[in-house]
Amino acid sequence: MSGYGALRVLVVEDEPVVAMCLEDILEALDCATVGPAGGLAEGLALAEREELGAAILDINLAGERSIPIAEALRARGVPFVFASGYGAVPEGFEEVPLVAKPYREADIDAALRAILG
Amino acid sequence: MSEVGHEPLPVGEDEFRMIADSAPVAVWVTRLDRTRSFVNRAYVEFLGVSYDEALAFDWRRIIHPEDTARLLAESIAGEASMATFALEGRYRSAKGEWRWLHSTSSPRRDAQGRHIGFIGVAHDVTEAKLAELALRDSEAQLSAFIAQSTAGFAQVDLDGRFTLVNDRFCEIAGWSREELMAMRMLEITHPDDRGRNRPLFDRAVAIGEPYTHEKRYIRKDGGVVWVNNSVSVIRRPDGEPFGVLAVTIDVTDRREAEARLRESETRFRTIFEQANDFLITTTLDQVITSVNPAVAAALGYPEHEIVGATIGDFMAPDQLALAMEAFEQKVREGGSTRLTVTVRARDGRPLTWEINSQLTTDAEGKPIALHAIGRDVTEAKRAETHLRLLVDELNHRVKNTLAIVQGVARQSFKDATDPAIARAAFEGRLAALSEAHNLLTREHWGTVSMAQIIGDAVAPHGGKQDRFSLAGPDLPILPKTAISLALAIHELATNAVKHGALSVPEGRVAIRWARGLADGRARLSLVWEERDGPEVVTPTRRGFGTRMIERGLAAELGGQVTIEFRRAGLICTVDAPLPEGAE
Repeated sequence: MSGYGALRVLVVEDEPVVAMCLEDILEALDCATVGPAGGLAEGLALAEREELGAAILDINLAGERSIPIAEALRARGVPFVFASGYGAVPEGFEEVPLVAKPYREADIDAALRAILG
Repeated sequence: MSEVGHEPLPVGEDEFRMIADSAPVAVWVTRLDRTRSFVNRAYVEFLGVSYDEALAFDWRRIIHPEDTARLLAESIAGEASMATFALEGRYRSAKGEWRWLHSTSSPRRDAQGRHIGFIGVAHDVTEAKLAELALRDSEAQLSAFIAQSTAGFAQVDLDGRFTLVNDRFCEIAGWSREELMAMRMLEITHPDDRGRNRPLFDRAVAIGEPYTHEKRYIRKDGGVVWVNNSVSVIRRPDGEPFGVLAVTIDVTDRREAEARLRESETRFRTIFEQANDFLITTTLDQVITSVNPAVAAALGYPEHEIVGATIGDFMAPDQLALAMEAFEQKVREGGSTRLTVTVRARDGRPLTWEINSQLTTDAEGKPIALHAIGRDVTEAKRAETHLRLLVDELNHRVKNTLAIVQGVARQSFKDATDPAIARAAFEGRLAALSEAHNLLTREHWGTVSMAQIIGDAVAPHGGKQDRFSLAGPDLPILPKTAISLALAIHELATNAVKHGALSVPEGRVAIRWARGLADGRARLSLVWEERDGPEVVTPTRRGFGTRMIERGLAAELGGQVTIEFRRAGLICTVDAPLPEGAE
């Protein structure tokens, strides 16, 4: 459960408890959490500004969709996965892995490995 | 003629013979022994023999076989009567033709009145007889024609009294000939039809116009029969009308069938008019031939603007293609099709219709038209879509809630040294989460009251025993914020009960919140203040509770949340933009 070498992972998740859970999982995987960001504006700012190795995006942010953040990440070449309780990845992001909530540490690990090659 | 004998004629025998020979009739004179003493030229010429042969001729030889017996009998009887008698029968002439002869024989007497023989005269009546026979034949034919006709014949005089009826008329009218002969036609006519009948009859008599009409007769048994009468005026040779002749046909069956058809038509017309379902008929070219009022009402066009249009006028091309596909299927395979299509109302609204249709066929089974029954399923479809959305949303929320539970579990058990304590903490958090959900469900996941969410969160920790004082406006907050707030308050209360003011009987907690303004924007300020508790010791490490409050709630509210471990009591302050829903 390691080997990411303190990879900086942006977490965009509007549910505080879930965000904390994800932080703990990333910590256990030897990753450093950037954020967590609970909203679109905050997430977008971090996505554009921070030094990032990967990102985990909740698709639905209190009614808004995190697509602009995904686009910003794609533009910067930062690999990312979507996390969602329901549904499919947004149109245009079919190649992006989707981690279904509730997720286990192993799910996050597998998803990160998939995007990091 | 018999008087001739009383006074001698002023003519001699030669003169008499000349007169007799010039007469166009046959004349003969016989003696008592029936021998002829005289025959005239016409007599001789008829037989085509000599005078002497004519005197001796046995005329029985030339009587028509069918008449022989009768004529002989009548002849004997006539002679015996001693009066003038006449005979009529067929005799073969010299030319071999059968001629009808009418003869008259009278007894002949001498001056003393003694019977001395007969004088006879015969003339040819063939033409008149044949004409009479022809007339009799034609009358017999006519009367047979009338008697045996399937039509009734009734003749009435100008007062409407029956003067002649045939058997069939009696049968149709339901009265005997004798009864009818004592009645007027109007008497057997149904009272409701008399008013209509009378002017037609009067007019026919007045201006000679024939007419045909249908009316009812009341039969003797009280039954009603519908008849079709063709009525014409009958005139005497001088042109004066003396009655009318009605040719009567029984049309009861036809009238009853028509009445049944009309009734059935009315019944189906009523169903058609009143049905809530859509009823449509079209030609095989999709031209609409009829629609019921439900269709007109649903589409918003008057019926006459729909009839004559084609179904394509009310559908987008892709929808018409669906309808045509179904049509082709019916032509190919027969049967009916069920189709859900979108049609356009006059105001442009799309309507979803479910349509069942079938081809109408003629007697040979060849399709001639199409009929369809449809209903509007727009609302049903909308409800179905809405339900699907609700289920999707429910699934999303369940998954989200499970993720929260997972997070709470992870935090509760992460650093636990005592599993029992960890479990109790976890269960308390689940209970707080559950309580918050109860409130959200009650409010249908709309906004909930801040006072309510705080009150519910502190209730399990002594809220009922007056250990908490709550003061603040009743701000409405969104469900998601409410869950985070409930979890945060739960953590504070748990901590207060375990380590803080509520761990001693006299300790109290005051929760105050207010709505304020900063830089022209509405803000929320909330303070949790503990007092009268034991002296507060700043904890060496910060657990889930603190983290939940300082980071989770702060993130949720997008503001600052701080916890101060003051010696007199813990103080938690929140300063955040007013949560969405509370503006």
